[in-house]
Amino acid sequence: MKKLNKTFLFTLFFLFLNLASTDEFDQGLEIALKADNSFSGYGDSKTNLKMLLKDRKGLITERVMEMILLEVPEDGDKSLIVFDSPRDVRGVAVLSHAHKTGSDEQWLYLPALKRVKRVASKNRTGPFLGSEFSLEDLSFQEVEKYSYEYLRDEDLEGQECHVIKRIPLDPYSGYTQQIVWISKSNSLIHQIHHFDRKSFHVKTQTFSGYKKYLNKFWRPDEIHMINHQTNKTTTLFFQDMTFNTGLSDKDFTQNSLKRSK
Amino acid sequence: MVSGFYRDITKVFLVISLIFISSSLFSKVEKYGEVSFENRAFLEKGLFGQDKNHSSFTLSPEFYFESEDQKTSFTFKPKIRRDSLDDERNLFDIQDLSLIKVKNSYEIRIGIRRDFWGVTETVHRVDIINQTDQVESFDGEDKLGQPMINLSLERDWGVLDIYALLGFRERTFAGEKGRLRAPFLIDTDSAMYESGAENLRTDFAFRWSQSYRDLELALSHFSGTSREPEFINKSISLKIPYYGIIEQTGLEALYIVGGLALKLEAISRSGQGDRFSAATAGFEYTQVGILSSRLDLGWIMEFNYDDRYEESPLALGTRLTFNDMYDSQILSGLMRNEETGETNVFVEASRRVRNCCRLSFESIYFNGGDNSNSIQKMFEYLKQDDFVRFEFIYYLGN
Repeated sequence: MKKLNKTFLFTLFFLFLNLASTDEFDQGLEIALKADNSFSGYGDSKTNLKMLLKDRKGLITERVMEMILLEVPEDGDKSLIVFDSPRDVRGVAVLSHAHKTGSDEQWLYLPALKRVKRVASKNRTGPFLGSEFSLEDLSFQEVEKYSYEYLRDEDLEGQECHVIKRIPLDPYSGYTQQIVWISKSNSLIHQIHHFDRKSFHVKTQTFSGYKKYLNKFWRPDEIHMINHQTNKTTTLFFQDMTFNTGLSDKDFTQNSLKRSK
Repeated sequence: MVSGFYRDITKVFLVISLIFISSSLFSKVEKYGEVSFENRAFLEKGLFGQDKNHSSFTLSPEFYFESEDQKTSFTFKPKIRRDSLDDERNLFDIQDLSLIKVKNSYEIRIGIRRDFWGVTETVHRVDIINQTDQVESFDGEDKLGQPMINLSLERDWGVLDIYALLGFRERTFAGEKGRLRAPFLIDTDSAMYESGAENLRTDFAFRWSQSYRDLELALSHFSGTSREPEFINKSISLKIPYYGIIEQTGLEALYIVGGLALKLEAISRSGQGDRFSAATAGFEYTQVGILSSRLDLGWIMEFNYDDRYEESPLALGTRLTFNDMYDSQILSGLMRNEETGETNVFVEASRRVRNCCRLSFESIYFNGGDNSNSIQKMFEYLKQDDFVRFEFIYYLGN
């Protein structure tokens, strides 16, 4: 009887502990779902991307590319990025099929050899075109790819924000965790602190110029990334964003990758 | 030779002006391409007394037109190369002069084109659509334009490409004064063919390919004039290329396991003596951010097998990517042949210069190994051809 009692108490204790943390996980997930929702419903889009890379000495170089996206409601979204400048990578293109579970598929098109090359999606954590963004930073951050924990509420430059922690479930992610600031008013991501594999706060990403499109979803104009180890920064500008342009699965195949110019 | 050069130039201008006349049909017009200068400095004179130094100049502009709905596009890309030493290295080639039409359920590509098949990095066994421009570079990855009609069906069951290859392009070979040449001269002016139609035969090919999440698979078949010639003796030091008719079936497989890509290319060919098989298999792996830096280190290892030879050379390669603003990288590799004791080593370093250009240095070293070995060496005739190559590329465009 005494033993049973003890077990009962332990069970109750763990149940209580569990409930408390589940609550924080649930709350974190709920915030993440809302943030995802404020991005969703775009159907498809075309955007010109401009990246300005600034090194420690303030030297600035530019990268220009075109990106098309397709929203795939039941699975991860599809993207095709074609480089325009610098000129030596002109015509190089990256096709990605993201998946909610399992690793993403990715193909590279090398125009000089007319070759489509499948690449391991693990290799997405390094600097993208010499910038402070990795391909992982630029790809879809499906809700299912992280576990969440609510941390606190906090004011970020005058914005009331929820602060949540998300941990990538992909073992090949470049990050061990990310702290995300999401505005309370319209559930938009305003800041992300990226922690590298040694749990060092390596990069800070900030989002600005949010606009609501088609009365449905939000997009920022600008994403800024600073690398705290190197003091280099990259600013990504989204230009001429258009939505519902009539793109379909057919525009995200290996044949369309070969055609991309 | 000079008049030939002007004839080439005239041809190019003719096509360009034709394009501009028809360009009103297209809403998007882009002009780009490249101009490059290359110098190869050899450590010794050639086995046949060839010079230690030569330079070449290459111009390959590219014109691209696209219709408003992006369903029709047209590409024109000529390539002109002049070499200071070897006339056989002078080239005028139309790399692309083709029209692509995209329909709902298929895509048709008509004209002169290049197309690549394959998954491996060091040896390309399956790739057969285009002829190799062998004198361009040692890696054999440069190709000549091939006239064709290519129908491509893209469905749930994969992509099926069907090709009618109209006519044949001869392989380029270094001339008498050229470096990196065979111990005999090749008389490309009197090439012989198995086909009665000679170089005008229409060849056929198809390739089916499909992606299954972590697996990429392709099966292909080519029926036509071999891109790889055999040689007929004309005299002791002069040979004639002979292009037989072959049937070649190819298999490509690539499997992704985490960060590792496992690769296989295999062919079976009949028509040139006994049927034979050959394969290349290996892997590619990239270590991202080595030693907690921005640098990536890629590894490639590939094994070769060929029925026809006793040798099964092993290729090892590394690619060090600096991930800096200048896309600096160092490629290095070696090809080791255990049976003959030969080892070839190469290093290539390149980086971007400003926004417009790229600079690269390459060095290749041929080590013949132990001479007492009785097996026929693969690169015996190149033993005096160690060289350092410098290249500067200016990319045209805005």
